Amino acid sequence: MIDKWIDFFMGPMFALTFLFMVLGLGRHLVLQLDTLFRRKGDRLKHMPWRKMMKDSLGWAFPIKHLVTGNVIFSNASFLFHIGAILVPLFLLDHIALWEGLLKINLPALSPMWADILTVITIVTLLVLLMNRTIFAKMRAIGRPSDYWILVLTLLPFVTGFLAAHPSMNPLRWETMFLLHLLSAEALFLMIPFSKLSHIVLIFFDRISEVHWQLRPGAGDRVAEALYGKEAKV
Amino acid sequence: MAITGVPTDVSHDKDNGFVHDLSKRLPYHVENPHPENTVERFLDAFAAVLEHTDYKSLLDSYCRTTNKCNRCSVTCPVYQVTKDPRDIPCYKTTLLLQVYQRYFTFGGWLRSNFTPSSFELTPEVIEEMAEVFYRCTACRRCTLECPMGMDHGLITRLGRYILSLIGISSKALQVSVREQLEGETHNTSKIPKPALMSNLEFLEEEFEDQFGISLKVPVDEMNREYTFFCAVSDYLMEPDTLLGNMAVLYAAGDWDKWTIGSQNFDGINYGLFYSDWHLEKIIKQLVRETTRLKGQKLLIGECGHASRSAHDFVPVFGGAEAYPVVSFIEYTLDCVRKGKIKLNPDIITEKVTYHDPCNMARGGWIVNQPREILKTFVKDYVEMTPGGRNNYCCGGGGGLVSIDEIYDYRMEIGGKVKADQIVATGAKICIAPCANCKKQLKELVAYHKIDCEVIGLHDLILKAIEIPGAKSAAERKEEAELYAM
Repeated sequence: MIDKWIDFFMGPMFALTFLFMVLGLGRHLVLQLDTLFRRKGDRLKHMPWRKMMKDSLGWAFPIKHLVTGNVIFSNASFLFHIGAILVPLFLLDHIALWEGLLKINLPALSPMWADILTVITIVTLLVLLMNRTIFAKMRAIGRPSDYWILVLTLLPFVTGFLAAHPSMNPLRWETMFLLHLLSAEALFLMIPFSKLSHIVLIFFDRISEVHWQLRPGAGDRVAEALYGKEAKV
Repeated sequence: MAITGVPTDVSHDKDNGFVHDLSKRLPYHVENPHPENTVERFLDAFAAVLEHTDYKSLLDSYCRTTNKCNRCSVTCPVYQVTKDPRDIPCYKTTLLLQVYQRYFTFGGWLRSNFTPSSFELTPEVIEEMAEVFYRCTACRRCTLECPMGMDHGLITRLGRYILSLIGISSKALQVSVREQLEGETHNTSKIPKPALMSNLEFLEEEFEDQFGISLKVPVDEMNREYTFFCAVSDYLMEPDTLLGNMAVLYAAGDWDKWTIGSQNFDGINYGLFYSDWHLEKIIKQLVRETTRLKGQKLLIGECGHASRSAHDFVPVFGGAEAYPVVSFIEYTLDCVRKGKIKLNPDIITEKVTYHDPCNMARGGWIVNQPREILKTFVKDYVEMTPGGRNNYCCGGGGGLVSIDEIYDYRMEIGGKVKADQIVATGAKICIAPCANCKKQLKELVAYHKIDCEVIGLHDLILKAIEIPGAKSAAERKEEAELYAM
């Protein structure tokens, strides 16, 4: 029976949730690009694009940012992202999945590196979770979603790691593997709705100069809508 | 979901280091208050803003990506002093985001109808927004350290804009803007043309006293390359900055290339701090005056927000009349590089430091230019740490310096980190090329009893500039010392 569930969640359900995630992120992309090019249009001509790109790319290799702020958090966050990007894409067991779904053939991580990166990802996620729990100022501004999204992200890595290491797995392989599929697909579903959508949106957030390109005449129209043509300062 | 209502008693919890007394609210101004339907009016104003502006996609994105990682708190000079969660930039931003999410998104509608504890906007939340948005100096330092790149300064500004649409704003800012846009003088200091002319006469006399050169400040001259706009308060409070500007223009041989417009000579633009509407109207006033005088460029005096608002928004709102905008610092550097002006390196013997106005430096626009000028004639120059793009705000940014009612806040909280920075340099002169920063820092060094004089960049240039055929810088220095005795 469980084999049938595995087949279902590995086949059509995987494709469906993955497609849902892609469409959800695609929607964000389209809406943001629409604002950028259709609505802001000409106002973008004089933007310092080179500087903006340089600033943004600086965050892809955030060496100078790792020593500022909460150093443990900053480094945990950076290391987490390395594993969170590499493992799902390049794990040997995932390669066939991508090949079947997207018809692309990615190179595989060695099992040792896959293990190291997975453990780093799990540990750093736990550090991030502790960080949110221990510090008063983190608790003061944290929302419930800031916690459960970490847990949801943690689950596919933990279940995947346990499924790949039978000696540590307290459950049947099939059960753990099914949990792995379920948690990964739950994550796919949540990505467009949660802060994980920064996968796409971060590129638009980071170019804040663009958002200062206000729409000419908008101030007048807002004032008129609220107070009529005779609106006073 | 809602994060409003961070318990106020947390601020008194000394064990956690929260020291600021939240019971002392900052005063803000409510014009024509309608307390019975504030919420409805706020939501109407928010809806109108969303309909006619481009903020919606930004808010959509920020609602999802806001990370609450607290990196911004580490960078915020206000939070560093108060340790008050309400001063965490991300907290402030979330106050507005949760209103947007609840009332203007499908998810918010779903949550409000199908979950028991969803967020509801109340007059208390609006009051809290008015409080925290006017505690922020909108210096945007937090944006540099936000991994997501969220611009909390922009959200603070948007929050203030929506509040201003329902009559909640700073009285000082609103009164000034009203005079600038609807008053007879069209400037924030309410200086009528006769007063301007008499002020310019005073500057001409001072210039003659100092340099032995008689000249006439050009007013309403047509077809000049530069139309000059400074923070109008400089005419009242910073004559040395203006004399320095005049000296550079004269020494560079550009005296016949500039003019002041008598119908509009105020570069101040408080719209940058709280209102898209006012921002655009004021920019259009500057552009109109330049067109009237058949000018080719806007030359902006020493002022951070005046420079940024003109530099960033003349291209946006100027339309076909979007003239190039030149900061006076850029102009002076060009003169230095071309050898058009000479600055005597033996005049300034004191240790000098430089404060970066946020509105010029944060975006990376004017960072190295003033340093390059200073290093040509200042022997003992020391950097403020951190400086440049990563500088700390003077504590009066975002228009706070104009709000006299919050003097204590600006001295004890907003400017505390800057005061410590100035002390650490050991400098006797602090250069602040911004009317707002200068006012704040002058008050700050007096309040904290710091042995440091705060002046503008061109005040220092005035001391060291050599003009052929005029009194030398050494002679002027000697005269000034005799006069001081």
